[in-house]
Amino acid sequence: MTGGARLLVLPRARARQGADALRRRPGLLVGLGLAALVIAVLAAVAAGSVAIAPADTLGILLRALGLPVEASWSPAAETIVLDLRLPRVLTAVVVGAGLAVAGATFQGLLRNPLADPYVLGTASGAALGAAIAVLVPVRAVILEFGLLNALAFAGALGAVAVVWALGRGGAFAPLTGLLLTGYAVGSLLAAGLAMTMYLSGANLRQIFAFLLGGLEGSSWLRLAVAAPLIVGGTIAIAARARVLDGLLLGEEAAAHLGVNVRRERVILLGLGSLVTAAAVAVSGLIGFVGLVAPHVVRLLVGPSARLVVPLSAVFGAALLVLADLGARLAGEIPVGVVTALIGAPFFVVLLRRARLGYEL
Amino acid sequence: MLSRAPRRRVAGLSPFIVALAVFLAACAGSGTPAPSGPAPTGSIAPVATGTPTAPPEPEPTPEIPVEPVYPVTVTDDDGTDVTIPAEPQKIVSLTPATTEILFALGADDRVVGRTDADDYPAEVAAIPVVVTSTKIDIEKIVALGADLVFAGGNNFTSPDAIAKLRQFGIPVVVTYAPDVEGVLEDIELVGTAAGAPGPATELADAMRAEIDAIAATLGPGDRARPRVFYEIDATKEIFGPADDSFLAEMISLAGGEPITTGSPTVFSIPLERLIAADPEVIVLEDAAYGVTPEQVAARPGWDAITAVRSKAVRPVNGVVVTRPGPRLVEGLRALALAIDPEAPLPPAAP
Amino acid sequence: MLVPGALPVAVLRGVTAGYRDRLVLRGVDLTIAAGERVALLGPNGAGKSTILRVLAGILPARSGEVLLGGDPVARLGRGQVARRLAAVPGQASLPFATRVEEVVGLGRLPHEDPFRGPRAEDRAAVTAALERVGITALRDRDARELSLGERQLVLLALAVAQGAPLLVLDEPTVHLDLHHQVAVMELLADLNARDGTTILAVLHDLALARHFFPRLVLVDGGRVVADGPPRLVLRPERVRAVYGVDPGILDARAEAVELNGGAGLR
Repeated sequence: MTGGARLLVLPRARARQGADALRRRPGLLVGLGLAALVIAVLAAVAAGSVAIAPADTLGILLRALGLPVEASWSPAAETIVLDLRLPRVLTAVVVGAGLAVAGATFQGLLRNPLADPYVLGTASGAALGAAIAVLVPVRAVILEFGLLNALAFAGALGAVAVVWALGRGGAFAPLTGLLLTGYAVGSLLAAGLAMTMYLSGANLRQIFAFLLGGLEGSSWLRLAVAAPLIVGGTIAIAARARVLDGLLLGEEAAAHLGVNVRRERVILLGLGSLVTAAAVAVSGLIGFVGLVAPHVVRLLVGPSARLVVPLSAVFGAALLVLADLGARLAGEIPVGVVTALIGAPFFVVLLRRARLGYEL
Repeated sequence: MLSRAPRRRVAGLSPFIVALAVFLAACAGSGTPAPSGPAPTGSIAPVATGTPTAPPEPEPTPEIPVEPVYPVTVTDDDGTDVTIPAEPQKIVSLTPATTEILFALGADDRVVGRTDADDYPAEVAAIPVVVTSTKIDIEKIVALGADLVFAGGNNFTSPDAIAKLRQFGIPVVVTYAPDVEGVLEDIELVGTAAGAPGPATELADAMRAEIDAIAATLGPGDRARPRVFYEIDATKEIFGPADDSFLAEMISLAGGEPITTGSPTVFSIPLERLIAADPEVIVLEDAAYGVTPEQVAARPGWDAITAVRSKAVRPVNGVVVTRPGPRLVEGLRALALAIDPEAPLPPAAP
Repeated sequence: MLVPGALPVAVLRGVTAGYRDRLVLRGVDLTIAAGERVALLGPNGAGKSTILRVLAGILPARSGEVLLGGDPVARLGRGQVARRLAAVPGQASLPFATRVEEVVGLGRLPHEDPFRGPRAEDRAAVTAALERVGITALRDRDARELSLGERQLVLLALAVAQGAPLLVLDEPTVHLDLHHQVAVMELLADLNARDGTTILAVLHDLALARHFFPRLVLVDGGRVVADGPPRLVLRPERVRAVYGVDPGILDARAEAVELNGGAGLR
């Protein structure tokens, strides 16, 4: 509880008591988090470049839920709230939660606090897939997912599969091998991406827009396709939280504690990659959420995955909702820039506080 | 890397445009179409039905070739069929060229949204901006109650935004002119969609006639034409016209043999290739950013080029040359004069 | 819970095992009865740690039999193994700041309800383990910030919390000063005497082994070359043959151990 106490600037004992009380009631924690998330969602739906009275926004939402509310607003306002803002904000919730959970999963699986959802080449694979889609002169749109999204998804999963196939065996311990292979494959794919971008000419802007990540293309239909994947994957990971806990002391220790390491490694890797790929297909490469959210949660409640996974989902969702709100109000700058602005300073602080060599 | 959809920028008024505008306004007056019908198909109703500015009093008009007819279905430059149910009263233009066209066709009183790059004519300042270089404000477009949107093809306007607007039932017409004839077709496309088909055809025909006249005198033919390099930018790499591009065609019509990059998708040209091609004239579009012929002459290695040695390096206003709008003829003339200040241009239309 | 003196807790019979292309164990026979306190000794690379891994089912035996609590370990699920065997590594690393209480709590993973998480009895077991090992005062500290000796005790507490009848340790005293080495040894002896926990420890320190363990198993070249009480196993010729050093060193070490309060065998 050291980091959290210092951050909160409370007397240590008091903070410890408070944290203990919270930790003992995970339900309460998650409940508080969800309440905060709902508030963030409402705030994000109420704000935008067109001013709509908060009372009207609330009315529109309530009416959409079926409550008998008098329609005292213009149809344009209703369209803006229900068809523009609400799907976008909900997409931010889903993507933010997914990225945070994937980040927590990879951090636990690879036992590396610097891991994020893209550590195994996912980002480069998705980017390359998207760039190829832009190059290919084919227009195919299914369920409002274009070739870009489909190839980004495929690229992300493909990259992980390659990393997995190449990274096992070899001289290094399995985890180290995965990490290093992820880095190597990622670099290779990034080179391929650079080449593709060079060849892309006028379409460069589209690739860049994807690389920087964004939620402008959100729609109800896209959400309906992506949400089950992300939410389902998140729940499946949460159900395996004790495996992540078991891995805290290492793979061998985990085996001694009853974890079927070989099987769980594949399962967690697969689930984490699936969630990441779905998130990337929907909204491009949004960074820092998957890295930062789990760490903030750990500062508050410790590293127990049983708490970290669901709370990361909630916190990651809230983070992305607010970051997207900031991006919208600042003139539609890419949301990846906002998350970087928030996340990078935090990351620096994290690095400075990290122990070098965490031997037990 | 530059994204080279033709860029539209402003130059000064030309008497031709003023005359044409007056002429068209007169035509538009008597050609007022039926009042706009019920809300367009889709979920959008106009936010506030402001009365359209009163049309000018009907003037005695010459014969108008085409009456605007609604509903009308046009095929835009992306190949999409777009149906416009009634005369649009709230037009949003997402490209500077289309804004100029709408003004030229007299439909500017029905334009409610523009881009921040629109700079001509001066009256555009009064129209709200809905598009910046980073953002298409879909909320604003919806809130304005837009009933027709003109977007830019070839990724000038994000395809996602176009799809989204169409999702809301707003007709979106995409314009993209890969060559000069495409510009004229776009003018007619905009006119038909926006409810000024007659003026559009007139404008396009007039422009075509002028362009043909210029091409007859200066275009490809028997006379010797100088090799021309059109410099877009040379701060790091040298950017110039790609093969078979709009710019290459303009240069050719304006009396030069265009030196191109060697590929239709590459926009940069290595210095060796440029020196080997040895342009006799260099036209500086980047004069707008302060590049002078003296600076060009001082560049290492450039003094081997004929154009530099014979001091045939001249600035040109790139906006009118590249913006695919009503001032294209003005651009063609400016380009011709930059290539050869003594060029025997036919007189400008009144 | 196994009754002392009944089924042997661990049996290896004719076991060969190795990694990839390298054969390490070349026919190991070893039987450990419940309630015993056994030290595994031998030079580096002899196969001591490999024996522990094979016993825990982490490394499959290429031939021979491995029985844990009477059952072939290959047929046991990992959870079942975890309830019969608790392992204390010589060192471990933590990627995140973790409270000692949480680290020790990991020992309850094999017992926890997968859906409801730790229950009152799990928390009680953790508290008891902390007390047993004597580190209750450290429970809220970040485990990564402790001294080497304290960290080793934390790992030991984890294994105690796991509550398995067989406790296996892989070089638990490697980085410790003499004082802490003795402390760990005394703790093991205490666990063995009071709780009946069977102890199997890989040790590199002959003096400690000789002093604290009634039975030594000497491993060399992948085989058991001696198995019995210290005075038989650690005869000078054998020490010289296996380790290649002058056995006189042992006596000096033994004195140091005694000076530090090690009461020796009980």
